[in-house]
Amino acid sequence: MSCIFTDNSMQKINPITLLFVGLLLLVMSFLLNISLGSVSISTLDIVQGIFSGHWARASWGQIILNYRIPKAVVAVVAGVGLGISGLQMQTFFRNPLAGPFVLGISSGAGLGVAVLMLAGSAFGIIAFGSSINPWAIAIAGSLGAGIVLITVSLVAWKVKDSMTLLIVGLMFGSAVSAIVSVLSYFSGAEELKLFAIWSMGSLGGLVWNQVWVLLMVCVLGIVPVVASVKSYNGMLLGESYAKSMGINPDRLRWLMIISTGLLAGCVTAFCGPIAFVGIAVPHLARMIWRTSDHRILFPATAIVGAILLLLCDAVAQLPGSSQSLPINAVTSLVGAPIVISLVLRKNFSKEF
Amino acid sequence: MGEIAVRGMNLTLGYLRGSSRKEILVDLNFSLFSGELTCLLGPNGVGKSTLVKAILGELTPWQGEIRLKGKPIHSYSNENLSKQLSVVLTQPVFPGNMTVGQLVALGRIPHTSWTGKLSFADGKVIEQAMEATKISYLKDERLGEISDGQRQKAMIARALAQDGQVMVLDEPTAHLDLVNRFEIMGLLHEIAKSQNKAVLVVTHDLEIALETADRLWLINCGLPLIAGLPEDLVISGQINKLLPSEKFKFSVERGRIESSTSQVSFQLSGSPELIPWLKNALVKAGIFSLDFPIHITNDPIAINYQDHAYRSVEHFLEAVNK
Repeated sequence: MSCIFTDNSMQKINPITLLFVGLLLLVMSFLLNISLGSVSISTLDIVQGIFSGHWARASWGQIILNYRIPKAVVAVVAGVGLGISGLQMQTFFRNPLAGPFVLGISSGAGLGVAVLMLAGSAFGIIAFGSSINPWAIAIAGSLGAGIVLITVSLVAWKVKDSMTLLIVGLMFGSAVSAIVSVLSYFSGAEELKLFAIWSMGSLGGLVWNQVWVLLMVCVLGIVPVVASVKSYNGMLLGESYAKSMGINPDRLRWLMIISTGLLAGCVTAFCGPIAFVGIAVPHLARMIWRTSDHRILFPATAIVGAILLLLCDAVAQLPGSSQSLPINAVTSLVGAPIVISLVLRKNFSKEF
Repeated sequence: MGEIAVRGMNLTLGYLRGSSRKEILVDLNFSLFSGELTCLLGPNGVGKSTLVKAILGELTPWQGEIRLKGKPIHSYSNENLSKQLSVVLTQPVFPGNMTVGQLVALGRIPHTSWTGKLSFADGKVIEQAMEATKISYLKDERLGEISDGQRQKAMIARALAQDGQVMVLDEPTAHLDLVNRFEIMGLLHEIAKSQNKAVLVVTHDLEIALETADRLWLINCGLPLIAGLPEDLVISGQINKLLPSEKFKFSVERGRIESSTSQVSFQLSGSPELIPWLKNALVKAGIFSLDFPIHITNDPIAINYQDHAYRSVEHFLEAVNK
């Protein structure tokens, strides 16, 4: 009975109001995220420090400004980017299991990084030693993701069917992962560990310059989304109906490939493959906002994605407080039960 | 007769499979009139969907051309075409989260700016479309929570909100029960008349089409497209062109398809409306001739055979079988 009641009252909330509530929660999560860590600094001190420039302890300013805030900004950008590209994929392919990585982007980035880290020892050349510049990792990841994406795009250009594109993307992903496996098999223990750590994902460790690049690329990746909101609404009824309503699915497919390439590709290149967020977040947004209108869903997905990653990152800081868990493990460990419980409570397939 | 909305001239349609050309429809001529409900009938696999695809501009004819309002359909851009022509398809694709109102609003996509914001006039059109299909009371219901029939009406309302001159429906009633089929076809007839739209429905329901359509198109393998008023096609016997073999025949008096193979010789008399049903039951039971005359009366129901009066067909069949 109470369940029905809350459902009815939820329907009455204006989705725009709900977006503002989400935004408020986002700011709170951001503050919570930066106040947690090995050194505990209260939220009040942080707000005071940021606005006045005076920190209670000199080291705090350093920690907050150059470590925690960049990390939190990366969490926001990654959550937004992965969520939005996941939503695009799910709507375009009309498939609830689609996510940002179905076109082989994460495997591509993995290949790029694997070549950088592992190829040296696999081919018996000592290339970089144990310390690799984070810029090099980002560039290698972008190159790898880009190459795989371009190959998939060439196929997309040839086949006009979106289901075929989905299958081809998945096949490319597996093929590329297989190459990474071969490289891992022949490489040394030290490099293998480095690669394993990269593949667990990490939001931290980026300097401000890199954060700006990530931010700019993601803003660029959101432009095609804004331009085709109406088309995504039309795609809800499938390609045939969309076409009959004057939408050009071929054009939309290219915009989608460009957008997810920029968003998911860049996030993966800088942070490693972050699982789960891209698939789960659009579903969460659909459940909370109870709409399929993309004018609401895109901002909603962005907000939920950012909050989820900020909270997951906060959880990753908590245990023991001196060391942090890999973000990939946390998103799946924390996120999966949440989503499973939501899915069980509400009629999931009906909502999609 | 209204004006011609869509016209096909010497149309040859087909698909390319590898390097071989597979011709499906040859030398087709037709005119679709405004203000009329036209039903396209034909057996499975004869190319009804191919013809629909060609009218929607998804398939380029190998020969001939299709004209929409006097201009070749390929001279329309995808966007302009969507302002003239809307569709309803068989397969039920729908997002469960969407409300009926939102679904109908999607029909305005060709008419809105890139943000998809609805103007006051758009809202009016959406409201009218829902009124015409009698689903205004469902406006805030979610698509996942209404019946198949209601959902299909909502799809028709969406097509109506698109506000084109032509509506093409590919088996819109395929998954629906009998009452809903009648209702939806009646609705389409009403819409065609009151809004002066050209409505083309692909269907397999001969009886409902005869009842509701203003015009029928019949296609069958190797024959030209036959068009005409349903009643004319029945009277002239052309309706039998739908039936490829001699096994079945359209019965003019009963308005439906009947098996024509069985040679029956009964001496039946009595209520004329009941005789065919009794005959039907006898043929199904494998009885093709009886030695004595049967008399059937309506009020009270009685089947008189050999000095016995049976109260139901079942009792009668039991007695005969002994």
